[in-house]
Amino acid sequence: MKALVLAEGFEAAGKLGAGARGLADEVVCVVIGEGQIPRGVADKVIHVSLPQGAVYDDAADTVNAIFDAQAPELVFVEPTRHLKVIAGRLAAHAKTSVITDVLELGVESATNMYFGGVAHRRLKALGTAIYTINPETFAELPVSGTDTVEEAAWVAPPRPLELVEVRPIEKSGVDLMKAEVVVAAGRGFAEEGELDLARGLCDKLGAGLGCSRPLTEGLNWLPTEVYIGVSGLMLTPKVYVAVGISGQMQHMVGCNRAGTVVAINKDKNAPIFKQCDLGLVGDIKDVLPALVGAL
Amino acid sequence: MKIVVSFKVVHDDQDIQVAGDGSLDFSKAHQVVSTYDLNAIEAAAQLAGATGASLVAISAGGAAIDDSKLRKNVLARGVDELFMTADDACADMDAFASAEALAALLEKVGDYDLVVCGDGSADNYAQQVDIQLAARLGLPVVTAVTKLALEGGVLEAQRTLEDVVETVRVATPAVVSVTPDAALPRIPGMKDIVSAGKKPAEVAGAGVVPTGTLEVLDCRAPQQADRARVIIDAAEEGALPRFAAALKAAL
Ligand SMILES: Cc1cc2nc3c(=O)[nH]c(=O)nc-3n(C[C@H](O)[C@H](O)[C@H](O)COP(=O)(O)OP(=O)(O)OC[C@H]3O[C@@H](n4cnc5c(N)ncnc54)[C@H](O)[C@@H]3O)c2cc1C
Ligand SMILES: Cc1cc2nc3c(=O)[nH]c(=O)nc-3n(C[C@H](O)[C@H](O)[C@H](O)COP(=O)(O)OP(=O)(O)OC[C@H]3O[C@@H](n4cnc5c(N)ncnc54)[C@H](O)[C@@H]3O)c2cc1C
Repeated sequence: MKALVLAEGFEAAGKLGAGARGLADEVVCVVIGEGQIPRGVADKVIHVSLPQGAVYDDAADTVNAIFDAQAPELVFVEPTRHLKVIAGRLAAHAKTSVITDVLELGVESATNMYFGGVAHRRLKALGTAIYTINPETFAELPVSGTDTVEEAAWVAPPRPLELVEVRPIEKSGVDLMKAEVVVAAGRGFAEEGELDLARGLCDKLGAGLGCSRPLTEGLNWLPTEVYIGVSGLMLTPKVYVAVGISGQMQHMVGCNRAGTVVAINKDKNAPIFKQCDLGLVGDIKDVLPALVGAL
Repeated sequence: MKIVVSFKVVHDDQDIQVAGDGSLDFSKAHQVVSTYDLNAIEAAAQLAGATGASLVAISAGGAAIDDSKLRKNVLARGVDELFMTADDACADMDAFASAEALAALLEKVGDYDLVVCGDGSADNYAQQVDIQLAARLGLPVVTAVTKLALEGGVLEAQRTLEDVVETVRVATPAVVSVTPDAALPRIPGMKDIVSAGKKPAEVAGAGVVPTGTLEVLDCRAPQQADRARVIIDAAEEGALPRFAAALKAAL
């Protein structure tokens, strides 16, 4: 079996290549753009040069041509916004659907989440299987490959996007993935100033501060990169303290693999109390200052 | 000028029951507009307002999506006209099939300048239908859009990607998908809902059965880790020191 790997990053290319080797005996990696071309990650790397001013997504027609020439049975894609577009266009071209955000790979099927984790669904592609999958899934596997690099001929899209500007996003620098203890704030915080109560708790616990998705949406009280859940971070800290969070599945899948789940909520019927190890029923404004005092 | 917004109707996940064997029971679940598609409708309505365009909403799904409350809810959000394909042949479609059904619906809508989609639907969040639809229509697609404007037949959109904000321009017609940040859904007033009842809505069956490309082998709720569930009420005597001690012990 032959597999095609589409990755934006060097490390991602290696990890997905290693994962693809578990199912395929030939691995071809496609890299797009002017970054460093990864070596030793596949049997062959096909490099797509982006013409000056082209938007990454517009490499889709070139990728379709590579797909036709290589005729792989399996495609592994790093789940980035750019590559999701390229994978979607490839799926339309190959008359299939991408199986997205794969949790677990079978030989001929893959499992992903349904309704934000309410269920897990095992799917089988009737034609070519195109999977988006987190490269970290294969972090333990040895990376191997040759230094063979081929240049692809650019296939111009009929109606390209015009790139006006690219601006880097300034990141807060917080890396919750590495935090042993995480405090997450939810809509139970009525105003931005109240977040200082959560920050006080973080200081006592040596915790990183995260949140539920609504606090980053429209509100922008906290940076987008710290929200936890199915569409955000999936964490496995030792202790997770959810404060003013109701416990919707879309949020809980991001923290339910924590060692201990702790919840603070004023509603004793909040769903989160059914999914935690330790719970405190009380109002944030009263219990957080008292808790910080007691710790 | 005509703007089209594409929204998906899904089961309300609050009402999905998990049976003893882990299978899902949707029988008590209402049909609702997928959460982030409400943001897409709002973004499209604001764009239509700013440009004087008319706004048409489209959706394809099972026969059950033809629900009068749902229709009114959509038409009360600045939408002028609604087209739906409600047919069990269109229930549980994958991305390829969804694009096929929506493309057929767009033929009924006729000339359009822009198709606006949401960031991803509540059931699968595949973020694929917008892209597949564009591919099928032979149109450019701009995803992950947080800001958009339309002037002189050109769409200018700001995309918020993982590490960069990208601004792109493209001539219409085009497909665009907006993130929830693009616009917060309005709360329709009584007047909006009443006038929604008088707006045109065309609901029909599927002309052709869309092609499924994936097979579902299994679908069930995952085993949840059994949690200790020690719940302390802050109003109880000595609650906080007890809670603090238990929290410390877990660290
Ligand atoms: C496709 C899709 C993807 C999504 N992805 C994510 C995701 O990745 N992450 C995510 O978080 N969400 C996600 N969501 C949203 C999710 O469904 C929920 O809407 C969200 O998690 C709710 O956030 P919350 O618990 O903070 O708010 P709410 O559900 O509003 O809960 C607030 C809680 O605070 C409590 N409270 C209120 N006041 C106080 C007080 N003074 N003291 C103590 N407690 C108080 C209330 O009792 C309530 O339980 C997604 C939704 C969809 C449709
Ligand atoms: C039991 C079951 C099995 C399923 N099996 C599969 C499967 O095997 N493979 C598979 O790919 N899907 C399957 N589905 C459907 C799947 O959950 C998704 O609906 C499908 O993948 C489309 O992707 P999405 O809903 O995540 O839409 P997205 O791609 O996330 O949607 C993006 C945007 O496209 C628009 N849109 C999407 N669908 C519609 C629509 N019908 N009408 C109008 N606008 C729309 C909306 O604007 C939406 O915001 C199954 C569903 C069920 C209930």
